[in-house]
Amino acid sequence: MSLTESPEIISAQPDSKTRRYDRQLRLWASSGQTLLEESRILVLSSSATSTSILKNLVLPGIGHFTILDDAITSAADAGNNFFLEGPSSIGKRRASEAVRLLAELNDSVTGEAVTSTPVASVVSSLNFLSKFTLIITHNLPPSQLQTLSDTLWSSPTAPALLAVSSSGFFAEFFIQHHPHPIIESHTETPPSLRIRDPFPALLEHSKSLKLSELDPTEHAHIPYIPILIHARSLVPHDPKTQEEKNAFKTLILSLKFKQDEENFDEAHAQAYRVWTPTSLPSSLTQDIFPHLDTKLAPPAIPGIMHALLTALRRFTEREPHVLPVSPGLPDMKASTETYIHLQRMYKDQFNSDKEMFKSLIPPNPGEIPDDLIETFIRNAHGVQVFVGEQWGAFDKDVNRVGEALVVSPKDTSVHLALRAVREALENSGASEGASANVSAEEIKMHIVGMLPPDTELGEEIDKAIGEITRSPTADLPNTAAMLGGLVAQEAIKMITRQYVPQGGYCIVDCIDMRTGIVGL
Amino acid sequence: MAGSNGIASQDWAGRYDHIDQILNTPGPRTSPAFMAGDGVKDFLRNQAKILVIGAGGLGCEILANLALTGFKDIHVIDMDTIDISNLNRQFLFRPKDVGQPKATVAAEFIMKRVPGIKVTPYFGKIQDKDDEYYMQFNLVICGLDSVEARRWINATLVNLVDPENLESLKPLIDGGTEGFKGQARVILPTITSCYECSLDMLNKPTAFPICTIANTPRLPEHCIEWASVLEWPRVHRDKKMDTDDPDHINWLYTVASARAREFKIEGVTWSLTQGVVKNIIPAIASTNAIIAAACCNEAFKIATSSAAFLNNYFMLIGTEGVYSYTFEHEKRDDCPVCGGESLEMSIGPEITVEELIDMLTEKQDIQIKKPSLSSGSIQIYLQAPPQLEAITRPNLQKKVSELLPTGGEVTVTASTLPFNLSLNITYK
Repeated sequence: MSLTESPEIISAQPDSKTRRYDRQLRLWASSGQTLLEESRILVLSSSATSTSILKNLVLPGIGHFTILDDAITSAADAGNNFFLEGPSSIGKRRASEAVRLLAELNDSVTGEAVTSTPVASVVSSLNFLSKFTLIITHNLPPSQLQTLSDTLWSSPTAPALLAVSSSGFFAEFFIQHHPHPIIESHTETPPSLRIRDPFPALLEHSKSLKLSELDPTEHAHIPYIPILIHARSLVPHDPKTQEEKNAFKTLILSLKFKQDEENFDEAHAQAYRVWTPTSLPSSLTQDIFPHLDTKLAPPAIPGIMHALLTALRRFTEREPHVLPVSPGLPDMKASTETYIHLQRMYKDQFNSDKEMFKSLIPPNPGEIPDDLIETFIRNAHGVQVFVGEQWGAFDKDVNRVGEALVVSPKDTSVHLALRAVREALENSGASEGASANVSAEEIKMHIVGMLPPDTELGEEIDKAIGEITRSPTADLPNTAAMLGGLVAQEAIKMITRQYVPQGGYCIVDCIDMRTGIVGL
Repeated sequence: MAGSNGIASQDWAGRYDHIDQILNTPGPRTSPAFMAGDGVKDFLRNQAKILVIGAGGLGCEILANLALTGFKDIHVIDMDTIDISNLNRQFLFRPKDVGQPKATVAAEFIMKRVPGIKVTPYFGKIQDKDDEYYMQFNLVICGLDSVEARRWINATLVNLVDPENLESLKPLIDGGTEGFKGQARVILPTITSCYECSLDMLNKPTAFPICTIANTPRLPEHCIEWASVLEWPRVHRDKKMDTDDPDHINWLYTVASARAREFKIEGVTWSLTQGVVKNIIPAIASTNAIIAAACCNEAFKIATSSAAFLNNYFMLIGTEGVYSYTFEHEKRDDCPVCGGESLEMSIGPEITVEELIDMLTEKQDIQIKKPSLSSGSIQIYLQAPPQLEAITRPNLQKKVSELLPTGGEVTVTASTLPFNLSLNITYK
């Protein structure tokens, strides 16, 4: 009997926590999960929208959430909020009921209801707010939201703010954050294979291939990467004109022994890599490197991140101005031996680039864990710093708003209508969630105030005003659930520092069922 | 007081204050058919009957949204039981429910949490139910992870349409998610593009050629496929592999790891082994919430006419910002379910029946597993019953051109799909 017929079975089934989180660990791995479990979220409301957002954060396992809200559950709340128990919750503290029912979703999450402190008293308390990772608001009156935003904007280490606003079928949200570095952006652009600028070992290996001397089986299993580099060594310069490119492709096919050699077909299909320059991503060369000594200098971003980005800049300043090699290799037609050999070459280069990279790290931030350096290099081609502006800055610039109305009238009209309805509701003194009438004239007045003088309002503004005055204070279950998902996705991206959050105001129109971005 | 659906009203004053803001007044884009006020509320709360297919990631969200929106007569079908890996998103389930039927537990939870809602569960397959069953609903919402089940319900609802009877047209709202991405769509059977019309939009499943798995493994996935596709049947003979059995995964993991070591391939892990053999798709609560909300919002707009509904496809990508695209997917005239025209297929004169069958299985816009082929009275190849399969088997090696003149019509059927596909074969 061979070994595989009676193998010593390895019992490696993961523990119950890993099994519970399996479907999300496949997205953000244990590194993301750890950050999620360390996070503390503050939500300044227990509306249907707020509890929908929290549900989608408690389930994947944030560490802690606090709901700060002194509202008493109304009949309407008991009807539209899944985290209240119908009529039996009416008259009780809404936040306490919500925390109890949300906490049931996940034993490893702690929740707290703060019902005796008015929101107005915490929005200016940087001390209190700094205990949290992220602050989420829903339909907060604009004056309080402005104070909260100012408080959080004043300190580079203050938590991010996710401000959500909704009325009926319309909604929007905005992430206010300080420069937010993302190492694992999960970009769909793969790292360079360095076919155009092969590193020395790869170049030597490819040039030395004696293709015509190989036996037919070996010949049909040479990976396309060395084939391309080898073929390039047979022509005097990089193919530039269409003619030269076609000739190069013909050359590749002429190297075939037999018609059905798929590795040469792959090389033919990938030939463009020979003349496409290995350019550095603009997210590094334009958005990060020039600003490392100015707006991205610590404490704007953490010292360790700054040191890694500085080392990367120094690395790319050296010839041949490329990123460190990534050790991952896509699958390609090859024999096991040739593929593993090629993979080894990339790994060796990765390791030597890593040593070079480490020697370029400035000494000041202290010890940086080796696995962080490795993760950083592996993902270097997708590294980003997500830079944003303060909540409301867009709206204070009438010219930007006016321009946005011309460029994207639908989304901008929804945004203006939502801003206007929040103002109007605050002015009328209506409490959150209670029915209130808002007149079209009043909404229009607020909108006109946000636009350059004599702006033509247009049809989209009229439609948005009509819709917003139909249901100014409605927190519809479906809109709430939609925001619950969209806002939680963004919150998870911010907390795990993986994937790329959305800048500007994200507008949601549940009538046309579309989303758009305003003020980016 | 009981509505016409027999459900006693437990509404308290103010219960629907939020939704009534919409139902009391038309908006600027609302259709003139909208019966603002009591008419529409009575229909939504006392008459509408809605079917939810799937009580998993999307289904849990859909049930909760429908209940809060005021649909009071909800039916739910699901054939699965609860697994621990469901608990990171299927929020109506708790650890104590593991092993219980999803439909039953979800229905009970909703009825307990949202008073006055009747949820009728069915723990079983959609294929168990007949046309009469599907006729009773006003709307169907699907939150499924299976292409096969979606094709079945889509074809069933298209077949149900009787032009003489408007009630026979059941809007189908379909949602699906994968990681941070998802889509929701509205299908008006026979009127708008159906699920079958868009089959070519599906991602092609990753398939590794057997020769790579057997001879030139390069990736950890190749080693795992070797363990599950080649080694399991060789060693265990007729014993069926159960991908939910951790002992089976342990065995596959062990065998795959040994092969990986032999070939110096890195990266075989338990989690990857399980992911490959179960074809696991990442899933999170937030994406399900977005897509389920989009589906239920369409159900609400269709049931009440309170606002225009989606025409007809919404897709969302949340990995890089919030990107979405709303568009009208077009009906296909040669759609085998709703198109009426036969599908043109041009093949080489040397193609055998067996090769034609492989093409039908693999072609993106067809994807029919185990098809049976006939043309008029000629039985080309039948998968079942066994006697007919044996009689028609010799045809597999014959050229199609020997059996059929150019322009010949081939009828393709499969036991898993409730429709026939007509092919018009010509030779190149």
